Amino acid sequence: MTDLVVNGESVTVDAAPDTALLWVLREHLGLTGTKFGCGAGMCGACTVHVDGQPTFACLTPLDAVAGSAVTTIEGLPGAEDHPLKRAWVAEQVPQCGYCQSGQIMRAAALLEENPSPQRQEIVAAMSSNLCRCGTYKRIVKAVQRAATEA
Amino acid sequence: MALTRRAFMASGAALTFVVGSGGILQAATSDGEETQGLAANAWVRIDPDNTITIVFPSTEMGQGSSSALPLILAEELDADWDLVRIEQLNRDDRTFGNPIFGGVLYTAGSTGVYGYFDSLRMAGAQARRLLMERAATEWSVPSDSLTTEPSHVVHTASGRRMSYGALAALPGPLPAIPEVFEADFKARADYRLIGKDVPRRDVPAKSSGRESYAIDVQVPDMLYAAVLRSPVEGETPLEIDDSAALAVPDVLQTVELPDGIAVVAERLEAAFTGKDSLDVTWSETAPARAFNSTADLADYAAAADDPAREGVAWRSVGDAAAAIETADRVISADYLSDYAYHAQIEPMAAVAAVEADGRGAEVWVGSQTQSWTMRTVTEVLQTTPDRVRLHMMTMGGSFGRRTALTQEYLRDALLASKATGRPVKVVWSREDDVKHGAFRPAAAQKLRAGLTAEGRLSGWHHRIATPSVIAYFNPLRWEQVAPKDIISVRGSESKFYAIDDLLAEHVITERRARLAPWRGIGASYTSFAAEAFMDELAEAAGKDALAFRLDLMGDNMRGRQLLQTVAERAGWGRPAGDTALGLSFAGYGDSMAAGIAEVAVDRDSGRTTVQRFWAAVDAGLIISPDNALAQIEGGIVFGLSSSLKESITIQNGEVVQNNFYDYEVLRADEVPEMDIRLQVSDGPPTGIGEVGTPMVAAAVANAFYALTGRRLRHLPFTPERVIAALA
Repeated sequence: MTDLVVNGESVTVDAAPDTALLWVLREHLGLTGTKFGCGAGMCGACTVHVDGQPTFACLTPLDAVAGSAVTTIEGLPGAEDHPLKRAWVAEQVPQCGYCQSGQIMRAAALLEENPSPQRQEIVAAMSSNLCRCGTYKRIVKAVQRAATEA
Repeated sequence: MALTRRAFMASGAALTFVVGSGGILQAATSDGEETQGLAANAWVRIDPDNTITIVFPSTEMGQGSSSALPLILAEELDADWDLVRIEQLNRDDRTFGNPIFGGVLYTAGSTGVYGYFDSLRMAGAQARRLLMERAATEWSVPSDSLTTEPSHVVHTASGRRMSYGALAALPGPLPAIPEVFEADFKARADYRLIGKDVPRRDVPAKSSGRESYAIDVQVPDMLYAAVLRSPVEGETPLEIDDSAALAVPDVLQTVELPDGIAVVAERLEAAFTGKDSLDVTWSETAPARAFNSTADLADYAAAADDPAREGVAWRSVGDAAAAIETADRVISADYLSDYAYHAQIEPMAAVAAVEADGRGAEVWVGSQTQSWTMRTVTEVLQTTPDRVRLHMMTMGGSFGRRTALTQEYLRDALLASKATGRPVKVVWSREDDVKHGAFRPAAAQKLRAGLTAEGRLSGWHHRIATPSVIAYFNPLRWEQVAPKDIISVRGSESKFYAIDDLLAEHVITERRARLAPWRGIGASYTSFAAEAFMDELAEAAGKDALAFRLDLMGDNMRGRQLLQTVAERAGWGRPAGDTALGLSFAGYGDSMAAGIAEVAVDRDSGRTTVQRFWAAVDAGLIISPDNALAQIEGGIVFGLSSSLKESITIQNGEVVQNNFYDYEVLRADEVPEMDIRLQVSDGPPTGIGEVGTPMVAAAVANAFYALTGRRLRHLPFTPERVIAALA
């Protein structure tokens, strides 16, 4: 049994300590907004925040987050009214949409640390995450918009 | 797409329409008892509460047609878009299959809008007219005295108006289905939805983690399965030791599959651990053991080079051989391209719940075809479609990956569910997805052309040595179309140029890997060869690459305009400095695109970067300009990624690559600035999903030549190939 805080709620998870946080979130807790893409920390589709830091949930074993606070796309404050979600809609970013939760969580961590990033800082941060549909240009614009409108 | 069904609350009848490729086939009023959304085969439904439900017959993989197709019908119906609900077609109902594919429900080849446009606008116009006739009867006025405003019929003379919902609910018989003629359609200037950037319906859910993909599905009592597949196509397990797998906590059992072993567990992590714990001895006799991509591509090149190897003519105009023979000079060049992987970010996944008798099933799956998904289920369970309930899930990318006649990820979920008696979710790892991918074929191409003494083109011969993709991924289709394989050779028709003597032919080589359509299909490599060669010809003729192409435009005024637009935007003609420009003119089907890449090269590392990309695209009528731009942006990124990075290699039948660390795709910091102009022409919509891709590789290669004086003739332009070219 492992205790952690997910989106502000204390949860106790009955899973092996080496279980990837990604499977705990998606399959045990039903938080499927966080996606599985590669299992190797290469695509960023599984990006969540662990104690505020952007983290690949696919590479994070459950026991490494015991007692930690995990935030997923479902737990971003403001629900649909979150500035990044609004910006994603305004820029019509998603195509298939599969990577976008991870993109938004990556962007949220960036803006938390750096509320007014330069364009190249945005590009550098977002380069941890793959988008096969090629929405990168709109992702950068949406992060810029969210930084301005937040 | 959200599939929530609205309970039928309002009183009165709903009006439903069955639609086929020629428009409305049947109209009916339901008696108000219907509570499950649309009647069995209805495609449009107008409820008394003014909700209009429109079925989306394709599937959604990111291209946006789940919004665009219903919008076309809504436009001619003059529906209030805010009152339109979109419902995914979850049946293999071929009354409204894609006319382009003979009625098969198949989402591919940029044909959604293109294939359904006439049917949808016809159905919308007929439904609108039928509502007007109902109003005319109700008010005892001539129907030609009526007009419509969004979801209302209006009689201006008397000021009366009635909503579509109220008209649907009127008692009494329905008028005959009205005939509608070209003149009855809305004038394009009167469109309220088409061309107006109505936002995509799927974007809010996809911007908040709420969209549900097949891999996200959870159903009660569900188990998980991971599948170990034979490392080489065609091998079978000789001995299976699953004792270690079965010892993993929560692993329940293993299930032998035609080409692998499924480990079924209460938890996904246990299924993966169990799979890694299997000890399997595979047969070592399959012919695919001899597949080696380097040697195989050399064989394809030899086939392209060997005049004795007969080709299948893909397009033949005039007499190319004679024109080349009599030319002043003959220019020839060879081009190669490697296997490419789809790399959709959602790995293959499916959920199946097979009923106790083994003949009925409910399945949740992403695929590009209801028809072949249904066929997969009925073949695997030896059952009939009435026993099958499909849920066609939004796909986390596809790009051609989920098109095959037999969908093995679904097959495995069905077999595992049947064996365990419980619903099963199959999830592929990324490594499974790469190792057992189905690829864009490797190809070797030989281009030959003649030049007159004045430097004008005299004969064009394009030979493509590559296997048939269709013969592998859809043998039923191959029976219908053989020996012509559009997937393998599209683009080589070079039909946007006025070339008097042209032969494009397909030398069908032996298949040496699993194959599938891949964004842009053949055009992703045939247009690379053709447009890189076009630059080689221009240089040999002593002409500017733009002028040489303009000279070949003939009466293709749209193409001429695209070339001029893109040249003007990019400042074509400026001398090379630290960067240089390269031009390309390609397209997809009837959609055309001109592109210019601005390229820089690091000569030490061999790293090529594309700093800016200009494009001008003509795809006829554009339903949603912003989504069209998004598709072209994505198509360019896809083309750049495959031009610079992507290569699958095969050794002794095994795919060498594993994951995104050794099959890299383009990242945000490698994306150029993009300047895209949409040229909206009078013609019908001709497709937007793939037109961005084919032009890209040649634009990069041509820019590289302008910068370095060296030709890149082998896709992708990896650093080692660049260094070799510069040596």
